[in-house]
Amino acid sequence: MFGTFLKALLIILYATFVGFMFMGIIRKVTARIHRRIGPPIYQPIIDTIKFLSKKENITHGIIYDFGIIFALGATILALMFIPLGSISIMRAYGDLILITFLLEIPMLGIMFAAMSSGNPYAGIGAQRALLTLLAIQVPLGFAIVALAEFYGTFSTYEIVMAQQTSGWSIFHLPLLLAAIAYDIVLQAMFGKEPFDIMIAPGEISLGPMVEFGGKHMGILQIQHAMGLFAETLFFSNIFLGGAVITTFSSPILNTLATLAVLLVKQLAVLLIAIFVSTIFPRFTIDQAAKFYWKWPTIIAALGAILASL
Amino acid sequence: MPAKVVGEEKVKKSPSFVKPWLGLKYLFKKPVTIKIPEEKIEPAPKYRGFHTLDWKKCVGCNFCGQICPARAIEMTWIEVDGKMEKRPHPKIDYGRCTFCQFCVDVCPTGALGFIESYILTTTGDEEELQLYDWVPIHPDKFKEIQDQYRDWRFPVEKIEVNEETREVTYYLRNGETFKFKIVGYGIRPPKPPTKPAPKKEEKKDSKQ
Ligand code: SF4
Ligand code: SF4
Repeated sequence: MFGTFLKALLIILYATFVGFMFMGIIRKVTARIHRRIGPPIYQPIIDTIKFLSKKENITHGIIYDFGIIFALGATILALMFIPLGSISIMRAYGDLILITFLLEIPMLGIMFAAMSSGNPYAGIGAQRALLTLLAIQVPLGFAIVALAEFYGTFSTYEIVMAQQTSGWSIFHLPLLLAAIAYDIVLQAMFGKEPFDIMIAPGEISLGPMVEFGGKHMGILQIQHAMGLFAETLFFSNIFLGGAVITTFSSPILNTLATLAVLLVKQLAVLLIAIFVSTIFPRFTIDQAAKFYWKWPTIIAALGAILASL
Repeated sequence: MPAKVVGEEKVKKSPSFVKPWLGLKYLFKKPVTIKIPEEKIEPAPKYRGFHTLDWKKCVGCNFCGQICPARAIEMTWIEVDGKMEKRPHPKIDYGRCTFCQFCVDVCPTGALGFIESYILTTTGDEEELQLYDWVPIHPDKFKEIQDQYRDWRFPVEKIEVNEETREVTYYLRNGETFKFKIVGYGIRPPKPPTKPAPKKEEKKDSKQ
C-alpha cells in the first residue's frame, strides 16, 4: 500500500519535471526556428514558481477553484493508468478508451473554471475549446478502434507487450494511418498551432485562461506540464512500441533504460508537434471542425477498416 | 497608354502543404541575436542622442526654444562661480524632448550640438527624475566621458538641486562635480535677488 503510494508520488514528480522540461524545449526549439536564442530550458519552472508566489489571487467562487483542481486531478489520474515502461500503478486497467477520455477531462475542468469567471473572452474560448473537443473525437475514435481491432485488446499494457513481439504499431499500414490521424489530433490536445483555437493568443486574448492568475495559473502550468508528459507518453506507448527493457540484470538499470528510451520517443513526438506548430498558422474554428471531420477522419477510418480486414 | 498593371496570375501563389516546412531551415543556424548585457552595439555616428552645449558660444537668442516642437527648451539664467552668464542658456527637459534635433540645426552659433549617447534610465524617485532636466554640458566634456565608458549612457549620475540657494550640482560619471546656480528663467534677465524681497513687501503694503 505504502509502496504504491510512493511509486505514484515518484511518477507524479517525474512527470512534472519532465513536463516542465518539455515546455522549456518547446520554447527553445520555437526560438531556434525563429533564429532567436530563447529562454533557458528551465524557464517554465521559474514561471510557475513565480505564479505560485503571487500575493493576490482572484477567485470567482467554488467552481472556479474546483475546475482547476479537477483538471489537475484528471491529468494525474490519466498518468496513473498509462504504463510508464514496466512501472505503473494501475496498468492492468489502463484501457485505451479510459485513458483517451481522461486526457480530455482537463480541458473540461478548465472550461468549468473559465465559464464560472463570467468573462466573455473566457466564454468564447470555452465554446471554441468544446467545439475542438467535439471535432477531434471522430478521428480519435477511429484511431482507437483501429488499434483495438488490430491487437484484439483494449489494454494499453497488452498493446505495448504485443509490440515487443510484432514490431512497432507505426510499421503496420493500418496503424500508421491511425497514428497519423492521432498525431494531428495531438496537436489540438497540446493546444498548439494550427489548432490552438481555444487559447488563441492575440485573437481572443488567451481565451479560457484570460481570468486566471496567481496560484490558479501556477496549477494550470503544472497541469499543462503533466498533460504534455501524459499525452506524449500515451502516444509513444500505443504507436511507438512503448518500452519494456529487460536486457540488464539489475531492475534499477532496466527501469532507467526504459525511462530513457521512452523519453527519446516522447521527445520525437513533441518535436513533430513543435515543428508543425511553428510553421503553420492558426485555423479558424469552422475550418478546424471541417478539417478534423474530413482528412484525419478519412485516414483513421481507412486505418480502422484495414485493421479489421 | 494604359496604366501598367501586373497580372493577377503573376502575384497569386497557390497554397501548399509542403512549402511551410522550408521554414524549419533555420533550426540549426546561428541565431541572429545580440546578447545585450554581454555584447554591445555601436550606435551610428551622429545618432541623435543627448545634447551638448558650448556655454561660451550660446548667445541666448532662444531660436532653439522657438523651434522646439515639444517646447522642451526653457531659457535659464545661470551663475557660475558667483558670476552670472551674460546670456541665458537653454535647459532641456528630456521628459518632453523628441530628439528631433531641430534645435541643433537652428542654432546660429553652433553652440547646441548632440552626441550619440542615448541611454538614460531612472527609478520613479523625485530625486532621480531630476536627471531629465538639465542644461547640457560642454561637448568636449561629454565626448570625453562617452569615450571613457562607451556604453552610451547619460554622462551625469546625479543632479542635486538645492531649493533654497538654487544651486545645482552635476555629479559626472567620472567622479567630477560641476556646480552652478540657476538664478532665473525666461528671456528677460532676472532681477537681482535682493530686489524682489522688498517689492513683495511693498505689494503687501499696498494691498493692506
Ligand atoms: S531635439 Fe527637438 S524636441 Fe528635443 S529639445 Fe531639440 S528641438 Fe526640442
Ligand atoms: S543654443 Fe543656440 S539657438 Fe539656443 S539660445 Fe543658444 S545660441 Fe540660440
